[in-house]
Amino acid sequence: MKSDHRAILEHRECFSPGLFSITFKAPELAAEVEPGQFAMLEIPERVRPYLRRAYSVADADPGRGTVEFLVKTVGPGTGALEELTDRSPVRLLAPLGNRFSIGDLTSDGAVAIVAGGIGAAPFPLLLRRLSAAKVESDLFLGARRALDLGFRNRFSGAAGARKTYLATEDGSLGEKAFVTEVFREAARKKRYQRVFACGPMPMFAALAAIVQELRIAAEFSTEAAMGCGFGVCLGCVIPGVQKPFIVSCTDGPILPPEKIAWARLGPRA
Amino acid sequence: MGTPRSSSVTMTPPTLEVQLGPLRLKNPILTASGTFGYGLEFADFVNLSTLGGLCTKGLSLRPHAGNVPPRICETPAGMLNAIGLQNVGVETFVEEKLPRLRALGATTIANVWGDTEEDYVTVVAALEDAEGIAAIELNISSPNVEKGGMLFGNSPPATASLVTRVRRATRRPLIVKLSPNAPDLVESARAARDSGADVLSLINTLVGLAIDAETARPRLSFGTGGLSGPAIKPIALRMVYQVARALPKVPLMGIGGISNLDDILEFLAAGASAVQVGTANFKEPGVSGRLVEELEAHCLSRGVTVASLVGRAHRFGDARDAGAEG
Repeated sequence: MKSDHRAILEHRECFSPGLFSITFKAPELAAEVEPGQFAMLEIPERVRPYLRRAYSVADADPGRGTVEFLVKTVGPGTGALEELTDRSPVRLLAPLGNRFSIGDLTSDGAVAIVAGGIGAAPFPLLLRRLSAAKVESDLFLGARRALDLGFRNRFSGAAGARKTYLATEDGSLGEKAFVTEVFREAARKKRYQRVFACGPMPMFAALAAIVQELRIAAEFSTEAAMGCGFGVCLGCVIPGVQKPFIVSCTDGPILPPEKIAWARLGPRA
Repeated sequence: MGTPRSSSVTMTPPTLEVQLGPLRLKNPILTASGTFGYGLEFADFVNLSTLGGLCTKGLSLRPHAGNVPPRICETPAGMLNAIGLQNVGVETFVEEKLPRLRALGATTIANVWGDTEEDYVTVVAALEDAEGIAAIELNISSPNVEKGGMLFGNSPPATASLVTRVRRATRRPLIVKLSPNAPDLVESARAARDSGADVLSLINTLVGLAIDAETARPRLSFGTGGLSGPAIKPIALRMVYQVARALPKVPLMGIGGISNLDDILEFLAAGASAVQVGTANFKEPGVSGRLVEELEAHCLSRGVTVASLVGRAHRFGDARDAGAEG
């Protein structure tokens, strides 16, 4: 059940300038959170940012009672997190939102995970659960440049992907291509049961067309500016197909691309 | 815990009780429309029966989809929103939400809006036979819809005409939520009172604008939005003070950036008999319940009642510019 957890910063790791991981002690949340869910994080006593910010839970370790977030500094909210000192308390309103569906996957076929830049944030926990369920996964990590993928080692190891494809737009790491193109090539040769994706809107739009063409079931972890995170302010809506607006925080954030009215997305701030 | 607490409705001491015209509330802390959903979303964080009341999301005759995104953005010490009054419609509210609010012991105030006078009257009439509504709050002050909303609130004759018609449609206590964007707030307040409002609530959001420095595009798709949060508290406090001074007999509910005990004490001192907590609900979903406990502890430790705290600022005479506009 969602509640407002007090959590202490236990560990931080910097991958490259403005790209970091923060791990909090939050035992109840660590035991409860599912892949794809998020937390509304508040740093107490700070005037700016005023509202909480939404962060996907990157990983959880119920044994150690810790919850980890992968963060890229983009504005005052993430900037304040980057400055957070060890043992600082924060509040985590969590777990919020729905989750990636993995219960119906079989160990006969693989799944694909496609991430654009910091869109990789929700996937360590998903990979861990897939690995526990003996479902094979291929990871496609893309970004503008190598520096934006400074966290890539976070995805290797025992609970990592079977195979990792890297792509950068400037060719400084892996293939010089959009990650969606690399995925399309692979998906033509190999039948994936499902695609899990998170990244910027242009990546989602391109990927939505690809999964429709190749008839692969997909789940996108969508992002929208959230005021509350639990369905009250109605600030985070996304144009929908079956209804005018999908409330990202409570109907999502995990949404199948066919439910999103891509043509009505329009310019976003 | 060292402080006495109320664990059920019946144990709440009269210390906190307030009377606003025909509306008696167990305590003066309510939650503001548009920041508390239909109340049910907060049941994990607040025992709804401990609140003085909750104001629902603005209800319209039919379900309303609201504005296209982006709908919100953060501003210094607050936020701008242009949600556009997205809501499930009065019928769904009565059938699906209200019975659950009743079961949770909530004191529910139905906030109502429409495009036309007829819309308002029809919604209020649809609520008239519903069980479990303590009062009606008329939203004549939303800045985020093309028609209705603020247009009624910004013209005293339009306010008077609308409130007169709604007054005839309901026996329930009638609260009118005033717009801080009105050219003359006191005139608006007077028009609402003279037309049959029992209580005035103020303020709704202030019209604001945010522009993306990089693209020069307004950050909200609607263009402008309503500013809320601690940023507007001094303005709200001044407006409550001003209306209380001009119309001392009209019960007021203060709204605007309230997030801690001092904020509440200040609004009470300015002349509000009750307050509505708004944007703070987004940041801290349990804030309203926590403030009820804090206010109770405060009153018990000082040996005072909430009623005795109302209007205390006025004994110091007129604050320099507070009466100037009225």
